[in-house]
Amino acid sequence: MTQSRKMNFNLNSWLAILLFTLAIVSSLFAGSSSGGKEGAGAVVAHNSDAESMRFQGEQRFRANCGRCHAAPQKFPPRMMGTILRHMRVRATITAEDRRLILFYMTQ
Amino acid sequence: MPLAYRYTFLYTFPCATLCTTAGWRQQALVLARQTAFLLLLLLLVLGPTWSLGQTPDTEKPVPILSGSIGTFSFITGGQNLIDTQINPVLLVPLGDRWLIESRAEFEGQFQRPLEGGPYGGPVTKHVDYAQVDYIASPYLTLTAGRFLTPFGIFNERLYPVWIRELQPDPLILPINTASSDGGMLRGGFPVNAKANLNYAVYVSATSIGIGSVDSERHVGGRMGFFFPGPRLEVGSSWQKSLQDARKNAFGFHMGWQPAKVPLNLRSEFAHSFEGSGYWIEGAYRLSQAQFWRKAMRHTDVVARAQQFHTGEISAAEAASLGLQPVNTREADFGVNYFVRDGLKGIASYGRLFTSAGNFNQWSFGLAYRFLIPLGRVGEP
Repeated sequence: MTQSRKMNFNLNSWLAILLFTLAIVSSLFAGSSSGGKEGAGAVVAHNSDAESMRFQGEQRFRANCGRCHAAPQKFPPRMMGTILRHMRVRATITAEDRRLILFYMTQ
Repeated sequence: MPLAYRYTFLYTFPCATLCTTAGWRQQALVLARQTAFLLLLLLLVLGPTWSLGQTPDTEKPVPILSGSIGTFSFITGGQNLIDTQINPVLLVPLGDRWLIESRAEFEGQFQRPLEGGPYGGPVTKHVDYAQVDYIASPYLTLTAGRFLTPFGIFNERLYPVWIRELQPDPLILPINTASSDGGMLRGGFPVNAKANLNYAVYVSATSIGIGSVDSERHVGGRMGFFFPGPRLEVGSSWQKSLQDARKNAFGFHMGWQPAKVPLNLRSEFAHSFEGSGYWIEGAYRLSQAQFWRKAMRHTDVVARAQQFHTGEISAAEAASLGLQPVNTREADFGVNYFVRDGLKGIASYGRLFTSAGNFNQWSFGLAYRFLIPLGRVGEP
C-alpha cells in the first residue's frame, strides 16, 4: 500500500510538474508579440509603421514564397488570410513572417 | 490500483456508490483534489490558446477552392503518353486557428497501343491529403488526418504542376513519400535574428486495402534551418518503419535563392532500403537578359541532374512503387514561359542513362493554377 501510494505520488508529481511547465511555456508563447491571433496581419498601422511593415513584408515575401514558386498576384484580404494560413502550415513559415507577408499582400 | 483506472472508476461510478466507507470517502476526496488540480493546470496550459482562438477575426478568411490543371505530352523512348490531371485543393478556415484542407488528384494517362489504334488508358483518382490543422501557438501546429509525408521538400512543396520547374518527377520522389494517416506536430519559428527553425514529427498507421486489418506503420520527422539573409535552407528527414524489419530511411535537402541573381537552386538526397539517389536543379529567370525583355521576364530556363541506385527490393517491387528497376542517371533541360499569373507553358528534354539502355524523354504542356473564393471577399 505504501509503495503503491509512493508510486502514485511520483506519477502525480511528474504529471503536475509536466503540466505546470507546459502551462508556463504555453502562457509565455501565447503572450508573445508574434503569438497574436492568426488574423492579425491587416491591422491598422500608422503611416511610418505601415511603410516599415510593407517593406519588411515584401522582403519576407520574397525570401519565403520565392523559395517554391513565382510571385502570385495580390488577392482580396479574406482570400489572402486563408492562403497564408495554408502556407503557414504547408511551408512552416513563422508567425511573424506570415503576419508581415499578409500585411504586404493586402496593401 | 493504477492511477488511470482510479480516475476512470471515479468518473464511472456515482459518489453515493463509491463513498460507502470512510476509507473510500477519504480516497475519493484526495482524488477529487488531484482532479481539480490537474484540471486547473490543463486550463492554464490550454487557456491562452483557447482565449486567443476565440478572439474575433477582423479579416474573416473565406473558404477557397484552389488547385491546378495540367495537360502534358511525355514522349519517352519514342512512345507518347498524354497525361491530363486535375488537382483540386479545398481550404476551409474555421475560427482563427483551425484549417481543414484537402487535395485530390484525378489523372488520366493515355497512350496509343503498340499495335495501333486510338489513345486509351487508365483514369485514376485519389486523395493526397485531407487534414485538420490547429495552430496552437506560434511554435506548434497540430495536424490530424491524411497528410503529405514530410520527407524531403519536393513532395510537400514542389509537387503541384504549376509550381514544379520540370514536369517529369525526380527519380527518388517515390521514396518514403506516400501519404501518411495519423497525427503530426509541426511548426516554424525564429531561433535568432538570422535563422528560422522548422520541424515536423509524425506518426502514421495507414490501412492497406478495404476492410483489411493490416496497416503500414511508421514514424518520422524533418528538421530544417532557413537563413533569410542568404536565403538558404538546409534540412534533413528521417523515417522509421514500425513493422517487418523496422528499417530506417533518411534524406537531406537544400534550397538557395541568392538575392542578387534570379536563380533558384534546390537539391535532395534520399536513402532507404527501396533505393537511394539525389537530384540537383537550378532554375534561372531570364529577367536580366538585355534582349526581348518583355518575354524574357516571363521565362525560366532550368536544368536538373539526378541519379538513382536500386535498393534491396526486386525490380518488380520497385516498378510497383514508381521507382526505376535499374540504376539510372538522368539529365534534363527545360523552359517555362509564364503567360500570366498561374498559367505557364512548359517544354523539356531529358536523357536517361540506364543499365538497360539509354533513351530520350521530351515533354510539352500547359499548367494552370486556379483560385476560387467560396464566399464574398470584397475588394482587393
